[in-house]
Amino acid sequence: MLAVSGFAHQVYRIGMQQNIERSGPSRDNPSFRTFLSTASSYKVRAGMAAWLLHRLTGLALVFYLAIHIMGLRSLSDPAAFEIYITVYRSPLFKVAEVMLLGAVAFHAFNGLRILVQDMFFRSERQRTLFYIVLALTVIVTLAGGVPVIFPYFIAPLLP
Amino acid sequence: MNSQYDVHGVGSSRSEVFGWLMQRITGIGLVLFLMLHFWVQHMPTGFLATAAEYSEILKGLGEKGPEFAGAIAEGKIREALPGEHVITYSKVLERLQAPLWKMIDIMLLFFALLHGMLGLAKVLGDYIQRSSLRKAAVICCWAVTLFLAVQGTVSVMTVGMN
Ligand code: HEM
Repeated sequence: MLAVSGFAHQVYRIGMQQNIERSGPSRDNPSFRTFLSTASSYKVRAGMAAWLLHRLTGLALVFYLAIHIMGLRSLSDPAAFEIYITVYRSPLFKVAEVMLLGAVAFHAFNGLRILVQDMFFRSERQRTLFYIVLALTVIVTLAGGVPVIFPYFIAPLLP
Repeated sequence: MNSQYDVHGVGSSRSEVFGWLMQRITGIGLVLFLMLHFWVQHMPTGFLATAAEYSEILKGLGEKGPEFAGAIAEGKIREALPGEHVITYSKVLERLQAPLWKMIDIMLLFFALLHGMLGLAKVLGDYIQRSSLRKAAVICCWAVTLFLAVQGTVSVMTVGMN
């Protein structure tokens, strides 16, 4: 356990050190100007988009998790549970279900990218990795999403 | 580290490294748990009722009591579309009869809550500058977490006991 925590400590510190060295002059005086110059410099754009999306999906998932747990109180009453599920089966909620999968998929793949980069290498190929994350997200969202919305939006279109 | 505007995330205090490590361990665990969860609850597998099965289930429910018959008549409980697979109380109950499934669901609950709240506390820490407010926010986060952990565990453990 000591060894593990020592190792984690080292990885964490080296990572933070590199983040500081990389972030350049903006680290000491965050201002609108330094924000703009960072935002407009081409190299970090993918990294910022990844960071922002990771944060937004994470927060959305926490919010949904709380709603979900409160909804599951209906497990104590079979009628209430069937009513609860019927609400979740309306077309609008089916679309939301696929969006939820999309959020989880992006957050998971991007989280794994962060994990791998922290542990093994600090890649200079941020953009490539970000595009791989996006591609995997789209693939998983489609693969899982199509069966979910099929009876609602696809089957009616078929002859 | 104790300046009012210390740069958050640059220190390497014990609790910060612990949170960082926990975030990663729970993240890996969540990948596995969420894949399983999605497969069981959202995909057309035997864990859900087919349209025909659901129709039978509703027929049975309708005869069981006025609260069901009423809800069905009002459309609050609705028949499945052709090809649709539905999560239903009886299927969930059947699965949660197995202690292993109870354990898996509770692990998912704890991992998601721990990971989510560590993340939320970190995000709040990024935007709240006053350290007293930051502390209050973190305490609120964990109070809510504790409440949700108890609530979720009770739901899973007591299913079918009414
Ligand atoms: C599917 C598997 C998941 C993986 C692999 C994963 C991975 C990660 C990682 C590695 C971080 C740390 C990012 C950093 O320190 O820079 C993180 C942050 C976070 N995660 Fe997850 N996560 C997963 C699922 C979830 C779920 C289900 C929730 C919601 C309950 C969630 C909510 C958050 C939040 C709120 C943050 C903080 C965001 C931030 O600091 O900007 N994550 N995740």
